[in-house]
Amino acid sequence: MGDAIVGVVANPLSGRDIRRLVTQATVFPTAEKASMIQRMLAAFGAVGVHRALLSTDLGGISAGVFRALGRRRPGDPPWPDVEFLDGLPIRQTAADTAAAVARMTRCGARVIVCLGGDGTARVAAAAAGDVPLLPVSTGTNNVFPVVREATIAGLAAGLVATGAVPPADALTRAKVLEVRAGGRVETALVDVAVSTQAHVAARAVWDPATLTQLFCAFAEPDAIGLSSILGQVAPVSRAQQLGVTALIQNHDPERKVVAPIAPGLVVPVGIAGVRPMTPGTAYPVLADAGVLAVDGERELTFEPGTRPAVTLRTDGPWCVDVPAVLAASARLGLLTRDQGGAHG
Amino acid sequence: MADTLTKDQLLTAYQTMRTIREFEERVHKEFATGEIPGFVHLYAGEEASAAGVCLNLDERDTIASTHRGHGHCIAKGVDVGGMMAEIYGRTTGSCHGKGGSMHIADLSKGMLGANGIVGGGPPLICGTALAAKLKGTGGVGVAFFGDGGSNQGTTLESMNLASVWNLPAIFVAENNGYAESTASTWSVATDNIADRAGAFGMPGVIVDGFDFFAVHEAAREAVARAREGGGPTLIEMKFTRYFGHFEGDQQTYRAQEVAHARAELDCLKRFAAQVTADGSLSAAELAAVDGEVGILIDKAVEEAKAAPLPAPADLLTDVYVRY
Repeated sequence: MGDAIVGVVANPLSGRDIRRLVTQATVFPTAEKASMIQRMLAAFGAVGVHRALLSTDLGGISAGVFRALGRRRPGDPPWPDVEFLDGLPIRQTAADTAAAVARMTRCGARVIVCLGGDGTARVAAAAAGDVPLLPVSTGTNNVFPVVREATIAGLAAGLVATGAVPPADALTRAKVLEVRAGGRVETALVDVAVSTQAHVAARAVWDPATLTQLFCAFAEPDAIGLSSILGQVAPVSRAQQLGVTALIQNHDPERKVVAPIAPGLVVPVGIAGVRPMTPGTAYPVLADAGVLAVDGERELTFEPGTRPAVTLRTDGPWCVDVPAVLAASARLGLLTRDQGGAHG
Repeated sequence: MADTLTKDQLLTAYQTMRTIREFEERVHKEFATGEIPGFVHLYAGEEASAAGVCLNLDERDTIASTHRGHGHCIAKGVDVGGMMAEIYGRTTGSCHGKGGSMHIADLSKGMLGANGIVGGGPPLICGTALAAKLKGTGGVGVAFFGDGGSNQGTTLESMNLASVWNLPAIFVAENNGYAESTASTWSVATDNIADRAGAFGMPGVIVDGFDFFAVHEAAREAVARAREGGGPTLIEMKFTRYFGHFEGDQQTYRAQEVAHARAELDCLKRFAAQVTADGSLSAAELAAVDGEVGILIDKAVEEAKAAPLPAPADLLTDVYVRY
């Protein structure tokens, strides 16, 4: 058995939160997540991946792939050996993603493909260490994960896992925002928002009236989610070695931005004090108490005296750059087979 | 909309959940003595669902419950003493002792009844929601049902009808993992009950049913949507029931999830930790509620046991209702 190993972790609950109710956010069917993994397996097989490690779940994704394995017929395109990482307790929380990714890294995965939204990618990134991540969108706010056909993502992951495309041509290092609140530390891949709400509750953030401050590792003009607010006034790319922060002011703001802060929700948001974030500097949260939302989901509460701070770091997860990998593949002729036929 | 629960609302939420928990723990204990006739199906572990949904409701609104209905009754304001007496089959019960655990109802509170028919509640809610819509009361109807009920034709037809008629109806699927002893991961073909919402043209969301605040927030948005003419919503709560399907169930089909849920996920523990950490309520205030609830449940049991049973002649009363 070779060591070209790819891990695939899929969040069964991505694309199911309250934003289906308060906006018209996408519903991502379980069956499609299972189909995406099958398409990836076909791509892995085409480029010589030896083994695929798949997360297990109670949501029906791994069961769908398992059933598909049983239906394969002679003559079907090759798949790598498939190993389901069963035996782990399934809590139906983010801990399942973290545990699966940690086990994949221990088992020698060279790339971890992560199916979910920003929240899933954040959890996977924290557990992946230096193993490259390829986040594929099946969630709600899809800023960090790429919206990409699974077959293409699978080809890119496979070409990296087999070593056909060297890391220098394939990988980029993401920024992260490190949030410290009391004894807790969280990381965000895209943004951190400060909310006046008292509880984590349904997690999603969709009411700008509750926000007071925003920090972004990057802010792209074409983004969805909270980073879109600053993406229109102070764009920062993923590659730039800085971030951007601002106050959210709904009364007497310096200016208002009409921003798509959630799918189907384009609202005016008042901002002030827009300024860049330099790496390594701790930027204080100005509110005394509230909730900190990371990558669009309320994650931790803080009380008076906690004094949270947000720091931009440039040593985030290594990520597979899908277009770059396939461009390198074209340049190196990795998917081209000389048939020796005569021309002209 | 901001999360703006007042201190009184937080105390009400805690009191509701604590009352449900103590009621169920006590019925569990008393049932073992053999004094309670019939079956009981206990709601312990699921308190945040009933409390979080019903805190968004008022006297205009109606709910329909299931065979596991004690929690819904308490959350909608049904008298606890009357409920306990009903479970004991006494004349002082909510239904004069003729219904028992599975048929507790109090129309004056908008509680249409616990229901021995799996999937029996959703059609009733279509009726009350239609009435509210036609009368313009602003009321909503909430149907609670389980993962087993989610597979019933009545439930699916009701969701279709509610969407076609754009009714102010909310369908709350309480997925506790098992329909009697059949795992929902096996019996629900779509894996998530909420996934079915799209087929009926309504939003469907999944909520951590152990988290009162998550339930309350999702229900608040669904209720507001329904009141304002936005139509029905499906909310799926995911959690674990602490007791068997019925009292006496040997639960050979379950592993260790109950111990984990009680220790790590419990809605009352999480609520208490959250509100004391942020200073909304003090430990002393919560302890005071605990004391009041304990006295309430003791009194309910004592009075129920002392109350008379229905006389043979009572068999012929309340059989027919004139509308």
